[in-house]
Amino acid sequence: MFEKKNLASLYTATAMLVFAAVIAAISGKSYLDMRNPPPDVDRVVPHAGFVHKKLSDYFDGIKGTPADTDVYIQEGSEPGGTALILGGTHANEPAGFIAAVVMLERADVRRGRLIIVPYANMMARSHTFPQDAHPQTFSFVTPASNRRTFRYGSRTTNPVYEWPNPDIYIHPASGQTMAGVERSNLNRAHPGVKDGGVTERLAYGFMQLIYAEQVDLAIDLHEASPEYPVVEAMVAHENAMELAAMVAMELEFEGVPIRLEPSPKNLRGLNHREWGDKADVLALLLETSNPSAGRFRGKTDEALILTGADKAYQKASGLGRLYVPYEGGNEPMAERVARHVTTVRLLADNLGYVRDGKGMVIEGLPGFQELNDLGVGAWLSE
Amino acid sequence: MDLKWIYWGINVLAIVLVVRSLYREKSLREQFVAAMVLVPLILRAFFIK
Repeated sequence: MFEKKNLASLYTATAMLVFAAVIAAISGKSYLDMRNPPPDVDRVVPHAGFVHKKLSDYFDGIKGTPADTDVYIQEGSEPGGTALILGGTHANEPAGFIAAVVMLERADVRRGRLIIVPYANMMARSHTFPQDAHPQTFSFVTPASNRRTFRYGSRTTNPVYEWPNPDIYIHPASGQTMAGVERSNLNRAHPGVKDGGVTERLAYGFMQLIYAEQVDLAIDLHEASPEYPVVEAMVAHENAMELAAMVAMELEFEGVPIRLEPSPKNLRGLNHREWGDKADVLALLLETSNPSAGRFRGKTDEALILTGADKAYQKASGLGRLYVPYEGGNEPMAERVARHVTTVRLLADNLGYVRDGKGMVIEGLPGFQELNDLGVGAWLSE
Repeated sequence: MDLKWIYWGINVLAIVLVVRSLYREKSLREQFVAAMVLVPLILRAFFIK
């Protein structure tokens, strides 16, 4: 329509320039606001007994950098095994870090030690992925009607902290080549590099934590798209396969079917592969189904994050294109978090069967049905 | 020298060229396209630090 009358002039050019500056200013403010959220966003209220540390206490190469993150440790009255739970390796997989927060706020450790890092990659929490249109936050309502708000971040470190990425990323420990963006992906950076990029140093910090705390069981909580084959799954290093198989059977008994996947030996940089190879630890990664991160999704809003209800996914399910049942046309956050919490509880419960004297007893965690029935908000502190 | 400042310089050069194009375009549609190209360049100029 613009071609019929040639209206372009110096004035329109100036107006367009001002328009571009205004759009950039609005976008820039939104971007900066996510980097400096209000204090109640991403707040955690650790259960009594948790001791607060920083990851830089294990590796000072990240001290004072945005990579440094909170580590919470609770020791039971009886000696036993040590479990490390990571949430938020990928900040766009919310059930992972919400499950870690629920456990941090509910776990009462009677035997052994529980280490929880609710937000493993803080640098991925300060931005959303370009062109994915995700909301910056989502909330739960607690029984006293308070809102608990969390950021929905990205899979990778914010480019403000690590930029530009190479065309091809060469994983330092193995020489394996990957897409350039994987340089900023914490779960391709393990076991990390002492003097590497900031994401590689973050991964190095976790390796030092595992050594220093003599971790027996390390679990990283993730989510995947419903159309991705490794979903509603437990990926286990070969050393952890016996424990994982036991827990998979117990989950079946509890009505929570789960796939059991071996950690690929030729896919490097993933924590279950590198931690299991480099340390005496049983390393696993858990995946639930997250339609808000999938490629088939339509409208992308807070409701999609919380309910997982999407017409396109319902249609894809009818056509047999998904790797999850997608019953009822949704994947509620409560069910996804319940899967993670239940699987972690069973892994800790069974640790003593595969490691002598390393049993764990964790009380206070909600059961699968309880969490499903009452929702996530009921299990978060006020 | 920090490579980031080289990227910043290239980015600023791109802004100058796009603004120049914006003022030389004869069509409103092309001016609009130039303005939209400017948005990410302006953002990048502020965030490469």
